[in-house]
Amino acid sequence: MDLSVDVGGFVVKNPVIAASGVLGYGEEYARVGNIDWFGAVTVKGTTLRPRHGNCPPRIWETPSGLLNSIGLQNPGVDEVITHYLPQLAQFDVPIIVNISGETYEEFQEIAKKLADCPHVTALEVNVSCPNVESGGMAFGTDPGSCYRATKAVRRSWPGPLIVKLTPNVTNISEMAKAAVDAGATCVSLINTLLGMAIDIQNKRPALGNIKGGLSGPAVKPVAVRCVWEVFQSVSVPVIGMGGVFSWEDALEFIMAGASAVALGTAVLVDPYAPKKIVDGIQSYCESNGIDSMSSIVGIAQV
Amino acid sequence: MSQLDILDVPAKVISVDRREGDAFRAILYAPEIASRAKPMQFINVRVQESLDPLLRRPFSLSDVNPHVGTIEITWMVVGRGTKMMTQWKPNQTVHVLGPLGNGVGPDFLENKRKLILLAGGTGFAPIQLLGVRAREKGVDTILIYGAKSRHLLMNTDRLKEVGCKICTCTEDGSYGSKGLVTDMAELQLELIAEEKIDPENLVALGCGPTPMLAAIENLFADTNIPLYISLESKMACGYGLCQGCAVRAVDPQRGYYRVCTDGPVFLAKDVELESE
Repeated sequence: MDLSVDVGGFVVKNPVIAASGVLGYGEEYARVGNIDWFGAVTVKGTTLRPRHGNCPPRIWETPSGLLNSIGLQNPGVDEVITHYLPQLAQFDVPIIVNISGETYEEFQEIAKKLADCPHVTALEVNVSCPNVESGGMAFGTDPGSCYRATKAVRRSWPGPLIVKLTPNVTNISEMAKAAVDAGATCVSLINTLLGMAIDIQNKRPALGNIKGGLSGPAVKPVAVRCVWEVFQSVSVPVIGMGGVFSWEDALEFIMAGASAVALGTAVLVDPYAPKKIVDGIQSYCESNGIDSMSSIVGIAQV
Repeated sequence: MSQLDILDVPAKVISVDRREGDAFRAILYAPEIASRAKPMQFINVRVQESLDPLLRRPFSLSDVNPHVGTIEITWMVVGRGTKMMTQWKPNQTVHVLGPLGNGVGPDFLENKRKLILLAGGTGFAPIQLLGVRAREKGVDTILIYGAKSRHLLMNTDRLKEVGCKICTCTEDGSYGSKGLVTDMAELQLELIAEEKIDPENLVALGCGPTPMLAAIENLFADTNIPLYISLESKMACGYGLCQGCAVRAVDPQRGYYRVCTDGPVFLAKDVELESE
């Protein structure tokens, strides 16, 4: 059966996308799995200048969850364009580049550089990173800032534009509406939940950067609720993410209102997760007489 | 791009046994990994098929037998995951991703007359495999091994059998000489100096707690013997995706290395050892 679905100006062959930050630039994953298993891949948070990332320790396991404070480690947009995107473009998968700016001007500048790159299908505007000092999540916790950041990208990027939202707000729908008003063609959610842990052996915060972002199955109910709410408030497609580990999880998101899902932590634990999830969705649809993905998007909405 | 040289395989547990002191050993049937693995490489193991604990656990390979298709890991209980592993039963399957990390290839021992291995506590596990391979190549090998106390030492018989010279110490004197790996290494370096071997024909590799690695790095700084260290880190994926296992590079332009794919073996002078 055809699992393709429109995610706001571009079509993915299946609704399972690699979330930003888990696929590197493809070269590492290609040693283990097949990038073509994904409907699209999102390149790690890309900034104007290179970033070395945060002080270790950067990860800490929690019950069914993962706290991370990587800190947008990346070689900077120029290097991404010249070196990394051409090699990722060898695979027949749409490339989404996740971008992060410290200022509105930076967002616009990064988008402009990527607009000239032939390999990019869509941009994902990161207004939700909890692990950087300036910019990051601050843009996504105020509707006015979310609007301005999206608008800044829209000015120099004519193509499909996804805005990635943070759950660390009182009303995520307001942020989604602001993004769509500014020209977003899709919203993705959720980024990680701000959290922390204490290492009681060392009597100090477990992460070098003190706080971090929580992901994994632990956050899934929060993510499903956010997708549910956002689906009701905007008319653009939603990419749902946050603890998708199985095809059942993926369908939960889709029925709540996601047109597609993104895998993050799941890929780190099981490199074959995308294949298993796509196959599982396929068999579910076939045995339940579902003939298109779009027919079940938001079907659980009451 | 290199393709598909890392596999996630369902490995059958052949045996799990308690060794001397606090150590446990598991032998797993994973021929695809056994045929590829090099010394100092590691695997990332899914302790059980559940979402808690969520992440895999990285373990170095303490032995590999490509002829029968088995790999061996040796560990001590430090948390939930390592404790659960002691309950593994023969014939059950566990998911094993590997082989991971660069390990050391045949060129590591090229032109070497003597290999000096320095291990602390569970840092002995990968050292064992390297020692075995070095002896197979006929390289004169000495192991300097220490731990806080006797129960934290792993069994070194395998290296003894292959003709490796072994010097053991404990901080509390409960086994071997009383003292630190560094103290013993200092003595051994003096003896080696008397052998008048060209430093180019010597190589050293250490694996153990960060303070021990920092101390041996200081000690070797006064020699011309190349010192490699194998690092340990919490990690999620184990093959370069997550950037979670960062270790600071001495070169500020480089920023951080990933322990998983840039290591786990590094030239000691290339990394900043930060004490936790």
